[in-house]
Amino acid sequence: MVIPFGAVALLVIPMAVGIETTLLARIGPGLFWAVVLLFGVLVTQRESGAEGPPQRDLLTLLGVDPAARFAATAIANTILVLVFEVAVGAIAIVLYDPDVVGWGWIALVLPLVAAGLAMLGTIAASVTTGLGGRGALAPLLIAPIAIPIMLGAAQATEGLRVGAGILRWVLVLAVVDVLLMLAGVLTARPLEES
Amino acid sequence: MTKRTLEFAAAGLLLTALVVGLTVPPDAVQGDFQRIMYAHVPSAWLAYLAFGITMIGSIAYLVTSKLRWDRLAGASAEVGVVFTGLALATGMIWGKPVWGVWWTWDARLVLTAAMFFVYLAYLALRRGIDGLERRAKRSALFGIVAALQIPIVHFSVVWWRGLHQPPTILRPDDPQIDGPLLFALLMGVFAFTVVYAALVRRRMDLALIEDSLVEASRAGEDVAGAAVTAPSVGAKPR
Repeated sequence: MVIPFGAVALLVIPMAVGIETTLLARIGPGLFWAVVLLFGVLVTQRESGAEGPPQRDLLTLLGVDPAARFAATAIANTILVLVFEVAVGAIAIVLYDPDVVGWGWIALVLPLVAAGLAMLGTIAASVTTGLGGRGALAPLLIAPIAIPIMLGAAQATEGLRVGAGILRWVLVLAVVDVLLMLAGVLTARPLEES
Repeated sequence: MTKRTLEFAAAGLLLTALVVGLTVPPDAVQGDFQRIMYAHVPSAWLAYLAFGITMIGSIAYLVTSKLRWDRLAGASAEVGVVFTGLALATGMIWGKPVWGVWWTWDARLVLTAAMFFVYLAYLALRRGIDGLERRAKRSALFGIVAALQIPIVHFSVVWWRGLHQPPTILRPDDPQIDGPLLFALLMGVFAFTVVYAALVRRRMDLALIEDSLVEASRAGEDVAGAAVTAPSVGAKPR
């Protein structure tokens, strides 16, 4: 459901900013990352089969550590966001025809971004579990914190386009991912208890 | 120091900072527009300080489980949002005549605005959670995660090399600012910090009253089974 939503966004945006091919080729990667940020987080807010109270209680009784559950949910979300990125990326290439270079780097940046958004989304989903207005609150919690991820991703692809080094942006993404992983693992148990 | 003394001190210092800020010589390049910095820089400093205190309060709550730390975190975030908003507003007012635009897509500006929204979300989260302990724990955890971005905001001016003024006072070499102007700036920082302390203290008192009301309303709620009286052994049937 989210992939068509993202695809529609990619289709609608040119109607707002103009349909010149050169302009769209130039800003296409940025639009792609904006769609990934704003719509990709929706993927992480899904309720999996293990989210219900009986399933949670069962996992607790089985002795499954909350940190392990965070890791498992984050990995599942990472895969889903990655699928979203690839699908929407293909649509962006078709619609905007950007000059895509540095496939090796892109293959590194995509999972780093997916992992960051997935971990952030998993934490936000835990924090907002059972709250009224969760649908609006979780994206509000995620979007501002995800800005470093957005900047890292956009600057990396822009660096590839102009032939500049992008290692520092990849490192920014990696550092943010590590921080979020630590935050997720360390907060998993207290969140579970609350 | 009593609350009243702190508040009088805050008012006096704020007035002094205002007088100093308006009477020091104008900047050689920016003229009188530079005086806005005497409110902008202290506000920005307090934005960082307030959110740092929120993080400390959050960690302290998780360690001690004492609600006063949660009240400190919440009060500091509220006052911090006000000062972040003030920093953004004064920055825009200064930016229009000096940079020629109200807003520019400089990394530090964008991330300061992001910080503003992060803590608005933090306050929205606090309001959305029922139960004092539950609210305290969840908001503490989010407060810590959110605070992870503050170093990124601070160092972003170095990382992204935007249009924003690089550090003027906190430089490894000598501060690049004239003496009287530096005094006015530091006076503003000191006055705003005392104002912040007074506001947070007052807000914590208010939060304590709010929490007491929540507790009182909870105590007044009917508990399931409350109407059932416990059987007493040996009692004669009436």
